[in-house]
Amino acid sequence: MREVSIGQYYPAESFTHKLDARIKLLLTIAFIVMVFLVQSLYAYIAVAAFILIATLVSKIPILKVLKSVKAIIFIVIVMAIINLFTNREGTVLWSWWKVVITVEGIVTAVKLALRLIFLVMGTALLTYTTTPMALTDGMESLMYPLSLIKVPTHDIAIIMSIALRFIPILMEEVDKIMMAQKARGACFDRGGLLKRAKALLPVLIPLFVSAFRRADELALALDARCYNATPNRTKYKQPRLTWRDLVATIFTAVFIVLVIAINNNFWGLY
Amino acid sequence: MSAFSYENKTPIISVNSVSYDYRNSQGESIARGVRGIDLDVYQGEFVVLLGHNGSGKSTLAKLLNGFCVPDEGSVTVAGIDTKDDLKIYDIRSKIGMVFQNPDNQMVAAIIEDDMAFGPENLGVPRDEIEERITWALDVVNMSEHRKRSPSKLSGGQKQRIAIASVLAMMPDVLILDESTAMLDPKGRKEVMDTARMLNCQKGMTVILITHYMDEAIEADRVVVLDEGKILTSGTPKEVFSKVDLIKSAGLELPIASKISSELIALGYDIPFALTDEELAEGICKLKSKI
Repeated sequence: MREVSIGQYYPAESFTHKLDARIKLLLTIAFIVMVFLVQSLYAYIAVAAFILIATLVSKIPILKVLKSVKAIIFIVIVMAIINLFTNREGTVLWSWWKVVITVEGIVTAVKLALRLIFLVMGTALLTYTTTPMALTDGMESLMYPLSLIKVPTHDIAIIMSIALRFIPILMEEVDKIMMAQKARGACFDRGGLLKRAKALLPVLIPLFVSAFRRADELALALDARCYNATPNRTKYKQPRLTWRDLVATIFTAVFIVLVIAINNNFWGLY
Repeated sequence: MSAFSYENKTPIISVNSVSYDYRNSQGESIARGVRGIDLDVYQGEFVVLLGHNGSGKSTLAKLLNGFCVPDEGSVTVAGIDTKDDLKIYDIRSKIGMVFQNPDNQMVAAIIEDDMAFGPENLGVPRDEIEERITWALDVVNMSEHRKRSPSKLSGGQKQRIAIASVLAMMPDVLILDESTAMLDPKGRKEVMDTARMLNCQKGMTVILITHYMDEAIEADRVVVLDEGKILTSGTPKEVFSKVDLIKSAGLELPIASKISSELIALGYDIPFALTDEELAEGICKLKSKI
């Protein structure tokens, strides 16, 4: 079976793995906000240090975290290039016809690339250290205020968890259907883009048919196990906040203050 | 195999002259379900519902836990009518149902989370859920897989987890709706052994729905369905010896029964056999007589 890296949980016994998923989610959001606030290059170094420390604490191989960037490297490059060529103010470094490259352009491009890379690395740390189930549970818990205004937060959480559960099953199904179609002479890797897309149609249709059939059966199974039997549903996994969560929160808060201080040149370092 | 005693027993499930048709949204009948079914299932019984595809056996299962409500007649489970919408979850918590495809009945990506789903829905306190999971995994002998993902398991193991997930709801009746149909022989044996063990050791009422006749051999009672009606019922021996009737229902006798019935037809004096062992014994006795 194909190994699917959705959720890409990396099992290990570490401080970060043991953190409450809700705290990790909130801290990740705080981290994202921080990365967007940061302007100065010095502060970026501080952010990089933060990611490095967090990675070491999580016992995730640094290479693995770096690899998570690979998926978006194309976007990073495109965005950087766009920034590089659209910034027309400042010291002109090189110009040809209508193309102008400025020092400021290079700086913004680098900053933007770093920002995107840091974002991905930070969120990758969250998904590496938290199981998909814990993540959906955490999200459900954080969505609690919404349930007060009749948003079906639990249904949303169940939908997310079922989606995660069925991704590998459907991937396997795609493999099977593709093999079956290949056996009948279908060809998926030749021809132009349009031809290849067309070749996928005989894969998608059986896949959807089967997905609907599965959904039908799953609905019966949910009913048979008394889904929605009582509004007083209990929860088997009740997360408890520990000293770890406190330490992680304080550490992150201190770091955010530090980064923002550096960013605003509070100590007059540069 | 111990003979099941029907004395002083009250049925846990009563099906009284039930008919059901599948209907479209206009209420027109589009497919026959079942016709005039009468069936009582007693506490602690092992009942096998046999029938080929489209015989109505799965419709009957759906009628038992209120997925379908009879057009005519009534179904009662522990005294509750399945027509009673307010008590439908009481019925479903009493009747645990395991389906054909193990992948399509698991909601969570970790086994213990999936097992907790049923009890959570019923509002069982957390500590008790913990105990139930430990117990149910122990019953199906899968304790070491508790924190793992079901995707790495074999079909038989997945189906045992599905049974454990249902057991965690503490049902009175376990319905296996073609739960062995997608499995290889080894997986089928695992599931059958688990079902039999639950019946013998835990006193669980088991209703097994299948088209494999060899799975019916050790049942207390076999009910053969054809075209939505009960064709015949009785102990496996009684049912299997009606060779022509079984054939007309589109079912295949176990090989030992086939051979012994043909030998009997040829005039040999051997008893009707259900298992290979019985057949071998019969033939040996015959040989010593000659």
